[in-house]
Amino acid sequence: MARIGVFICHCGENISATVDCGRVAETIGKLKHVAYSTEYKYMCSDPGQTLIKDAIKEYKLTGIVVSACSPRMHEPTFRKAAAEAGLNPYLCEMANLREHCSWVHEKNDMTTEKAIDIVRILVEKVKINNALLPIKVPVTKTALVIGGGIAGIQSALDIANTGHKVILVERSPSIGGHMSQLSETFPTLDCSQCILTPRMVEVAQHPNITLYTYSEVESLDGFIGNFTVKIRKKARSIDEKDCTGCGLCTTKCPQKKIPNEFEEGMGFRPAIYTPFPQAVPNKPVIDREHCTYYIKGKCKVCEIVCPTKAIRFDQPDQILEIQIGAIVIATGFDIKRTDFFPEYGFGKYKDVIDGLQFERLASASGPTGGAILRPSDGVVPKNIVFVACAGSRDPAKGIAYCSKICCMYTAKHAMLYKHKVHEGKAHVFYMDIRSAGKNYDEFVRRAIEEDYVNYIRGRVSTIYECDGKLIVKGVDTLLGAQPLEIVADMVVLATAGVANSGAEELAQKLHVSYDSHKFFAEAHPKLKPVETNTAGIFLAGACQNPKDIPDSVSQASGAAVKVAALFSQNELTREPLVAFVNRCSPPLYSTCVGCFLCQSVCPYQAIEREEFKNRDGKTIKTVAKINEGLCQGCGTCVALCRSKSIDLHGYTNNQMYTEVMALLNVY
Amino acid sequence: MHNLILKAKELLENKIVSVIIGFETGSSGKVRPVFITDSNKADSLIFDERCIQNLAVYLTKKEVKQFGKMGIVATLPIMRSIMVLISEQQLSPENVVVLGISGDGEVLDFADITVMQHYIEKCELGNPAKEQDMLATLNRLNMQEKFEFWQKEFSKCIKCYACRQSCPMCYCTRCAVECNQPQWIPVQSNNLGNMEWHILRAMHLAGRCISCGECGRACPVGIPCHLLTMHLVDQAQSYFGVYAGISDKMSSVLSTYAPNDKESFII
Amino acid sequence: MSEFEPKVVAFVCNWCTYAGADLTGTSRIKYASNVKIIRFPCTGRIDFMLLLKSFANGADGIIVSGCHPNDCHYTSGNFHAKRRWIMFKELMDFMGIDMNRITFSWVSAAEGARWAEVVNSTVTRVRELGPYVSYKQMVNTSIEEEVTHA
Repeated sequence: MARIGVFICHCGENISATVDCGRVAETIGKLKHVAYSTEYKYMCSDPGQTLIKDAIKEYKLTGIVVSACSPRMHEPTFRKAAAEAGLNPYLCEMANLREHCSWVHEKNDMTTEKAIDIVRILVEKVKINNALLPIKVPVTKTALVIGGGIAGIQSALDIANTGHKVILVERSPSIGGHMSQLSETFPTLDCSQCILTPRMVEVAQHPNITLYTYSEVESLDGFIGNFTVKIRKKARSIDEKDCTGCGLCTTKCPQKKIPNEFEEGMGFRPAIYTPFPQAVPNKPVIDREHCTYYIKGKCKVCEIVCPTKAIRFDQPDQILEIQIGAIVIATGFDIKRTDFFPEYGFGKYKDVIDGLQFERLASASGPTGGAILRPSDGVVPKNIVFVACAGSRDPAKGIAYCSKICCMYTAKHAMLYKHKVHEGKAHVFYMDIRSAGKNYDEFVRRAIEEDYVNYIRGRVSTIYECDGKLIVKGVDTLLGAQPLEIVADMVVLATAGVANSGAEELAQKLHVSYDSHKFFAEAHPKLKPVETNTAGIFLAGACQNPKDIPDSVSQASGAAVKVAALFSQNELTREPLVAFVNRCSPPLYSTCVGCFLCQSVCPYQAIEREEFKNRDGKTIKTVAKINEGLCQGCGTCVALCRSKSIDLHGYTNNQMYTEVMALLNVY
Repeated sequence: MHNLILKAKELLENKIVSVIIGFETGSSGKVRPVFITDSNKADSLIFDERCIQNLAVYLTKKEVKQFGKMGIVATLPIMRSIMVLISEQQLSPENVVVLGISGDGEVLDFADITVMQHYIEKCELGNPAKEQDMLATLNRLNMQEKFEFWQKEFSKCIKCYACRQSCPMCYCTRCAVECNQPQWIPVQSNNLGNMEWHILRAMHLAGRCISCGECGRACPVGIPCHLLTMHLVDQAQSYFGVYAGISDKMSSVLSTYAPNDKESFII
Repeated sequence: MSEFEPKVVAFVCNWCTYAGADLTGTSRIKYASNVKIIRFPCTGRIDFMLLLKSFANGADGIIVSGCHPNDCHYTSGNFHAKRRWIMFKELMDFMGIDMNRITFSWVSAAEGARWAEVVNSTVTRVRELGPYVSYKQMVNTSIEEEVTHA
């Protein structure tokens, strides 16, 4: 015989202001099987929880309904309280009287009636709830970090330093990411390579880190603590063990005119190359798309000159299958290129460049050795225009968000220019200056006040070429929206930061959600900024939204702590709200007939086959079986199953049916 | 017919199959299904325009399966039923030999399931012309008229479940109507329960029905319940571009999806 | 109160629409109190029989709502649900059951205001349609038959 306890919370006045809680408690108290019904100002408070615990013991309750706020808010709180009083936590249900009733309706009888109905539904449900035991699953204490930029590097190092194994996967031939391309960093103007390369070397040498560069995630199966990842290790076409990284092959390669990605197209590289001198690992790859041997079938100069005979033209891609327990996504971002802007010439003017290209121009290791020279003719620009918010905060261009880093790097660019070209003039067109951050605004003020950078508040409408000069037409909104025209030698667009290529595809492989801009989505914008909605998968850096280095590094360390916390336990406890296939005595074994249509609806490959054999070992029946470790409890199989052989703990057919019945029929 | 008998005898004599499921002439000139295990009795096999029952229903029956490997005289709907049964793992391709009958009554030789699949692909797979007309007529009615039409039909239903028993795709050991926790469908026959039963049956056959019309023919009180499933055959085709039972590896319409499935009623 | 107040049942998924309805509350947006919500883990879990049972037990209108396509917490539950609803709706239309009484919608966890709109528009529409008389009559005759037999 069920003995149900009902606890109506006033939530201060949040509920009681519109719902007559006394009447609800009284009406519910008269229902069959309700052994105790009461009201209290704050059920979630310590005295409130004590009240519940005492009632469970005193009235020997077999189930409780806490009628308060949304179960999404306090279900864990009250289930824990129930457990502490010796009641199975899954015999506690919550009726949502606040978000779904008192806050959305006026104070009147109908609102109180609705509150009664909501509670009644859950009283009927909880009567047929089953006590459930949590599921324990083992944890594989190896983490996968996807992306070898500063965020991935930081996460990998932090996890590795807690003593756990890390697999770091990077799709390009070297780790380092965009940070390795930068000249100096704001707000300190220290050299990017100088602070990054020691970290890169640390990754390469760390005993707990296994680095796979020139590799990509092929697929992911499994669930938190128990993922299986397949990694495609693309053929480098060299034997990494034999290669010493001497670089002779790269100097002898006859194919030398391939646009250099690392230099943002402003220099050239051979077909066998290391992306940059400090690359980790410092081993070249053959770019098969451009290599003469792969195109024409002959050349092999690299093979001839290689002192250690490390070239392997026939090396295949390798697929590695690795067991891991947690994942950090740190795949970074990309920027819009100049060809995204019709008004600025679709990228056809050589001297209109983007921010990353300017970084390379300003970098001592860049194509000009650090001299600011126009790409078109190599002349020092005397007049340079920086355009902030190129594409960002522009709903018409489909990018409504602020790219966050551009204000700061534009100030930095203007300063670097002024430090190198003392007589030059630097102009910055901006919408607003967003320089929140430690020492950030001071940095921008320095650019304006000490380096005399001309900041113009207004947007640039068009740029066109005229007599070898770039005519920048804009407006100065602080001078009464006066049209303005600057004759510039070079223009730098602070183009919008966007999701990295392949982000959407990766998100689908990993079953994590992403937003409309293809940035990975966090589980909660404020309280779970590091988690994704998929348990065991975390985010770090600009793959979530454009971020600067300190933010990326902080988040990376945050993600590492989440992984370390997960790895601090040997077993994970999972909610037992999973599907199950019924079993009965032979010769039926189960009402499941084994059509296995459920297998194809399951997003988690959680449905397995179970064979029943007779004494001779002959299979007499094959039925479906749920892998509790994999099942996430969506219940799609339950609604599909024609013979009603699958059911879902916590949301059983009987419970859902009862709820509908209770809702519509007053008993 | 001669070829059919010869083929059946050959299969039985060479012990390729243990039983042939086919048609024979029964009492008062009616055709009835026959299960032949002795090649000498194969002469009773017939095939003519009266042989329209969907014999695939017997392929999942314990009493027939116990003979061993089965040979079956199969028209297009039976072939398509076999495809569904194989794809839903109710029938092993190694356990069946299909004595195909073409639209004009010729005996077809299918070396294996793939050959049968090629044959099916070339056939007209939509609903039969007569049913198409009936569906079109019903679709022209307004909501109230449709409701009244079906209410009148369902009022005749005696819940004998002949529609279910005659359907090869209704092979569940325990049907959802026999489930009593909760009691989805009332046990007794009444208008509400009858309608719920027919909706349940049609939804369970959505994307699986192969338009044989057997359920409608089996109904002792003449409810055109085959129109419900056949209507969904049309819908599956128009929304998702698929017909059931054309391959031994396909998923049914409701056990799969495409991200770009189009509809116009979800806001 | 002479005006007819419809009974509306809402079948919603836990991750999007239930959370969206929570946000309606947090934002203090008012809506009709006729609707009562039943929480499911996912739209993929919603059995079409429950919709029929709702009508059979006196509901005048139904809302079925979950995550927008591509947003499903379980990645594909809503896609499967969508196919199921397509077939279900076509079958209901063919049988003369009033699909104007069922609202199928996608309401995300961020669309608190939209949830209020979905509820209000459904309640207004069903109020105009009036009680589902033909269905109720069928139910009543069925119950009467039962009583007579007993």
